[in-house]
Order: sequence, then C-alpha cells, then structure tokens
Amino acid sequence: MNPNAFANYKTDDFFDEMFGDSKNSQSLEFYQAIYDRIGGLTDKEFEQKKKHADSSFLERGVTFTVYGDGKGIERIFPFDLIPRVIPDSEWQKVEQGLRQRILALNLFLNDVYHGGKILSEGVIPEEVVMSSAHYRKEMIGFDVPRDIYVHVCGSDLIRDEKGEYLVLEDNARCPSGASYLLENREIMKKTFPRTYQKMSVRSVEAYPEYLLRSLEYLSPRMSHKPVCVLLTPGVYNSAYFEHTFLARQMGIEIVEGKDLIAIDGYVYMRTTQGLVQVDVIYRRLDDEFLDPLFFNQESLLGVSGLMDAYLKGNVALANGIGTGVVDDKVTYAYVPEMIRFYLGEEPILEQVPTYLCWREKDRKFVLENLSELVVKSANESGGYGMLIGNASTQKEREEFASRINQSPRDYIAQPIISLSRHPTFCPEGVEGRHVDLRPFILYGEDIEIVPGGLTRVALKKDSLVVNSSQGGGSKDTWVLND
Amino acid sequence: MLSRVADNLYWMSRYVERAEGVTRLVEVNRDTDLEFQANETGRDYWQSALSAMCVVDDFANDEIDDQEFFILFSKNWSSSVLTCINMARENARMVRDQLSEEIWVELNNLYLFLNSPALQGKFRSNPENFFRRIIRFSLIFQGLSDATIHHDEGWRFMSLGRYLERSDQTSRVLDTLTLLQEEPTRLDLIGALRSCSALSAYRRQYQGALTLRNVADFLLFSRDFPRSLRFAVSRIDALLHEISGVPSGNFSNEAERLTGSALAQLNFSGIESLLEDGLHESIDQLQRKLIEVGQSIFETYVLLPFEIKNAGVAPMVQRQMQQQ
Repeated sequence: MNPNAFANYKTDDFFDEMFGDSKNSQSLEFYQAIYDRIGGLTDKEFEQKKKHADSSFLERGVTFTVYGDGKGIERIFPFDLIPRVIPDSEWQKVEQGLRQRILALNLFLNDVYHGGKILSEGVIPEEVVMSSAHYRKEMIGFDVPRDIYVHVCGSDLIRDEKGEYLVLEDNARCPSGASYLLENREIMKKTFPRTYQKMSVRSVEAYPEYLLRSLEYLSPRMSHKPVCVLLTPGVYNSAYFEHTFLARQMGIEIVEGKDLIAIDGYVYMRTTQGLVQVDVIYRRLDDEFLDPLFFNQESLLGVSGLMDAYLKGNVALANGIGTGVVDDKVTYAYVPEMIRFYLGEEPILEQVPTYLCWREKDRKFVLENLSELVVKSANESGGYGMLIGNASTQKEREEFASRINQSPRDYIAQPIISLSRHPTFCPEGVEGRHVDLRPFILYGEDIEIVPGGLTRVALKKDSLVVNSSQGGGSKDTWVLND
Repeated sequence: MLSRVADNLYWMSRYVERAEGVTRLVEVNRDTDLEFQANETGRDYWQSALSAMCVVDDFANDEIDDQEFFILFSKNWSSSVLTCINMARENARMVRDQLSEEIWVELNNLYLFLNSPALQGKFRSNPENFFRRIIRFSLIFQGLSDATIHHDEGWRFMSLGRYLERSDQTSRVLDTLTLLQEEPTRLDLIGALRSCSALSAYRRQYQGALTLRNVADFLLFSRDFPRSLRFAVSRIDALLHEISGVPSGNFSNEAERLTGSALAQLNFSGIESLLEDGLHESIDQLQRKLIEVGQSIFETYVLLPFEIKNAGVAPMVQRQMQQQ
C-alpha cells in the first residue's frame, strides 16, 4: 500500500486549512474523507486526474487572457484539485458577517451621495471620501433603483495565524471570478464524485439564477418582462470567458457598447429585426468607460447617452455608478465605523488593521517600519502597486517611501498577515500554499450568497499574492451541510 | 437577434467552410502535381493554384517560401487554413452563448491542434491525416450545427455563410478551368470535380469520357448536388426569405433581389446558352453578383444606416478592452 500523500506534509508555522494550527499530522475531522481519498492516490494517478482536468478546462475554453505584447495570450486559470473545505458552523458566521457588511456599504453609498450624514457627524473625514478616485459627483442626489448601489460584491477574506477570518478588501465595482467558481465545481464533481457525495457539499449552481433575479428586480418597466443584458468590454478582455459564461447561464444577451444605442433617454439594442429597448444592464465595464459624453471622452467601448438614460431612470445599471468609493483602501479602513453608525451593531467579521498614510502619525510609523508592513496603493487592484516589506529590497522601500511622501492619500499600510495555507499539489508533491477566499454577495430583493466562493491560491512557494495576474490559481470550495 | 451576433455567426461558419474548401484544393493539387511531375509536363500547379486564389503577391511577400505551406499555414493571408480556423474561433468566442457545447469543443480542439508547436512536423510526416482531420471537422461542424442548435435566425445566418462560401468556392474552381492556356486535360477536370467532392456524384450523371461541358453543367446546374452553384443559390434564396418573412419571388432588400435574379438564371438557362456567352464571362458575372449578395446582407442586417466604418479604431478598441 502507498504511504498517504499527506504523510510528510508540513504545516510549518502557519495556520493550515486542513490540519489546523496543531503540529500533529492528523487532519481536521471535516477533511477526513479528502485525506483518505486524495491522500491514497499515487503521484501518477493524481497527475492523470490533473491532466484530465486541465485539458477539460482548455477544451471548454475556460480561460483568461494575460496581457503582454499587445496581443493577449489565453491561459487556463491554474486549478488545484485538492478542495478547500469549510464546515457549516464556520460558514454561518462568515455569511452573517458578509450580509452585515454589504448592508453597511450600501447605506454608506446612499448616504454619501445624499448629504453625507456620516461625514457631517465626523465619523469619517469628508476629504477622504471627496478625494477618492472613484467618487462620482454626478451621482449626488440621484436615487438609484431600489436604493441599491452594490448588487454584486466580492469581498476578499483571509485567515490569520489563529484561523480567524478577516476581510482584506471589498470589490464593489465589477468583481470577477464567479464563473470559475461554477466551472471548478463541475470539474470536481466529475473528478471525485463519491467523495463529493459522501461529504454532503452544498451546491453553488444557483448563482446565475440569483444574479438574474437581482437584475430583474431593478427593471424600471413594471408592466413588461425585463430585458436584461450583460455589457462586456469585448472579446479581448481578460474576463471575457466569464462574461459569455454568465450571459449563457442566465439566458440573456451579451452585448458590447456598439450593440447598444441611446436615443432620447432610452437605451436600445440593435437586432436584425430592429431596435429593442433594454431595462437593466449588468455592466462589466468600469464607470469611466461607460459613456464618452459623460466620463472618458476617449472611450470606444461605451454608449453615448447611456448616463442620460440612467439618470432619467429609464435604464438600470448593476452595479450602480460611483460604488468604487468603497473599493478605496482608505475608505475600507472605516467600514467597522460604518457598521456601527448605520446598523448600531458590532462588526461580525474582523478586518485587517490599516495605517492611513495621510494621517501624520500613521505615516511616520509606516515610514519607520516599512520592512515589517505591506504597503498598498489605495486604488489599484490585481496585486499591482504593492510592497511586501519583508520580501522587498532597500531600493524598493526607498521608492515606496518617496511615493508615500509625495501622495500620502494614495497609500495605506497593513501588518504582514501570514495567510493560512492549504495543501496543494506542487511539482515536488503536496505542499502548503497560501490561500484566500472570494465569496460573491448578491443584493437584490434579498441578499443571496452561494455557499463558499472562489478560493484563490498563491502557487509560488511562500508567495502571499493570490491574484491570477500574478501566478495565482484556484481551488473549489466545499461548504458542508450541517 | 443582435446584429453583431448574426454577423459573427455568419462569418464563423463561412470561415469553417472556407477552411474545408482550401484544404480540398491543396489535397487535390498535391495529387495532380505529383502526376504531372512524373510525366514531366512542366506545368507549375502550385503557381496556378495561387493565381486561382488571387494571392500570388501575398505569397511573394510572406515569410513562408513553400507554396503549399503558405496556403495551409500563412499567418498573414486571410484565407489560409490556419487563419480561417483562427477567425472562425474568434467569431465563435464572441457568440458562445449561441452555440452548443459540442460545437465549441470541436472548433476549439481544432484551433488548439492548429496552433500547437508540433503541427508542421505532424503535417510533414502524414499529410493525408492532416487533410482528413480538417475536412472531417468541417463536416462534423455542419452536422452539429444542424443537430444541436435551434433552427432559428442564428442558424439561418450560419447556413447563409456556409452556402455563400460554397458557391464562391465552386465557381472559383470552375473558373480555373476556363483560364488555362490550353484545353483542360482529363486530370484538370478530375481535379476540379474532386475539389468540390463531386467526382462520384458526377459519374452517376455522366458516364464515359470527361468533358468541360459536362463538368461545367454539373457544377453549375445540378439541382440536387449540394455543392453545385444552383443548389447553393437556391438555399441562399430560401434562407433570405425565411429571415425576412417575405414570400419567395418577391424581395424586400437588395440581397434578396440579387439572389433571386441569379437563381432565375441558374434555373431557367442552361449550359448551352452559357457557353455561347462565354463560360468565363458568365461565371465571373455570377461570382460578382454573389459577392454583392454578401455585402448587401451585411448592409441590411448588421449596419445601421447612419453608421460610419472606421477601420483605424480597431487596435485602440482592443487596448481599451484589455484595460478593463
């Protein structure tokens, strides 16, 4: 008999999803079936299963585009076959925390664009919000459909060395990844059907249905079946696969800017049989590109007149305009305050302590302790614009220090959290790799969160960056029934 | 359906059909060339293949210096087999929601195969296999289009692309026979029929020695052979009327009018009157009419009247898509 593939696995000093914080090699109870099944595979069997899964992704075109020499290269999103497991009790708390959070974020956005009570009462400094790169003064006083700004939110969660879940950031503009979550599940069900069944994993397949329902909820035309469309930047966008996937699953049209036309405050799509009025646009295009008449004049991807129709209430957008204020990592630091202010509750989910460089005291501390901190640009995503102190060179630190001094508003710093690790199939066998979790929160008539989310894994040894653009991969996430 | 989607579907299937046609041409040419070399006739078959496709200049400017490889694998020429499949897939990617999973997987697999580094080596060691794979793919693609998706508007645009491309291919093949310096030989005639996969079908109608008259008659006027010009044009006519809902015999746009007139000619004239008018001139005229049909379909169903086409914008658009 083969020795178990996990037998020589080392958790080192990290919290391990499968083995917990104990130093012994006994997996946590809810991982037992995985430990037995996957641990019992020979390297060769595992290799085979992996090859099969990869070619299945490639065949189905489940790819994303890496930008380089002007022409995007299609890659499969690297996928690891060892699933992450979350027991029901743990998930309950995460789910409640996420619900609480999206409620507070929405109330905050509504407030900020309607007088700003939270600002005038001094809970959050007004200049923080006003100077945010994604604050949209055009939205002041405008009532968005159903008072919801963020219909789809991807809040990234990490776990610290004690296994505590922490919110790392919120993505309230166009979070992507839901299609990989659904495709990963399809592959896993085919690869380990009996283990899947035995462990009683909660299903995620309703996501497109929930999404469509929350879109239809926004339709301004009550007497008519809502016409919803998905607006994509186009075929060269890195998430294009996801766009077609979701549109197909929802049974709605996927459109590019040139497929739409705005006439006298209404938006229509151009069909072979003439123009058809559109009610709701699930847009996967940033604010700046939506309407050349309103925002970036150079935009070739948007629709001239779209904002006019939106502000007249004749077409709904999901997500709303100006939600990027809460993606700002400076605003992020105040979310616990928002929860207390609007909901009168204590935050259920903790978040990472954050130093704001525009505060003199914080800045001083950050500059003195650069090598023990992670410095992030407030408005960049995808793992760009980041300094990980203990892995940086003197030169990099000096460069960041000068950038911080130049524009302190644009930088924040956080302690380096040793993200939890998860056993992952690597060239030298099964090793621990750092992971995070991106759940997708849908806010329509109700708040719906499909159990789990996309577990992203930093495939490079010791790397803390899980983004796909930086060599990250993903795992299926199994939330178990109680 | 979205105008752009109709356009993508049309081009997707048109490119697949083209890849098949070009592959057959190369396969046939290989044989003919071999035969002639053995008999030392001194004719350069590859060169005449290039001129039939109007790409002599493209070949001269390409980095590939082998004629056969150029036709199959050129990245610059828009109708090489490689480009056709890449374009078909590019169009398919934009309309994946309209396609069945099976269609996508077949097309994507062929794309991966054609873009794999080992491809040219594989081709050299077994060209037959390569030809068979492309042709078989195209046939599977057609079968799946017919068997796994709704026969609705999108399917009609796909079929339109297929038949327009096919009519173009058939008329081109026939035209090469009229452009030869000397009378076409038996091998030329057989080559033309094989390029249209028509040899055995032809034999059932005409026994005995091959003549240009009979071959032209068959490829132009056969009512029931699916690669004859008449068959293709009558399908185009039917599809256009199904799309517009206007009864056959009338027309509501330029594409319908032109197709109707081409079809009338194919239905009611015959090979004798065509030979009288000059075979080359007649084919040329039909071919031009069909090119106009393709253009009018685009103008009727895809463009809005006030639209201005600005080709220079394309790279800019691509860059912005990537920034998102």
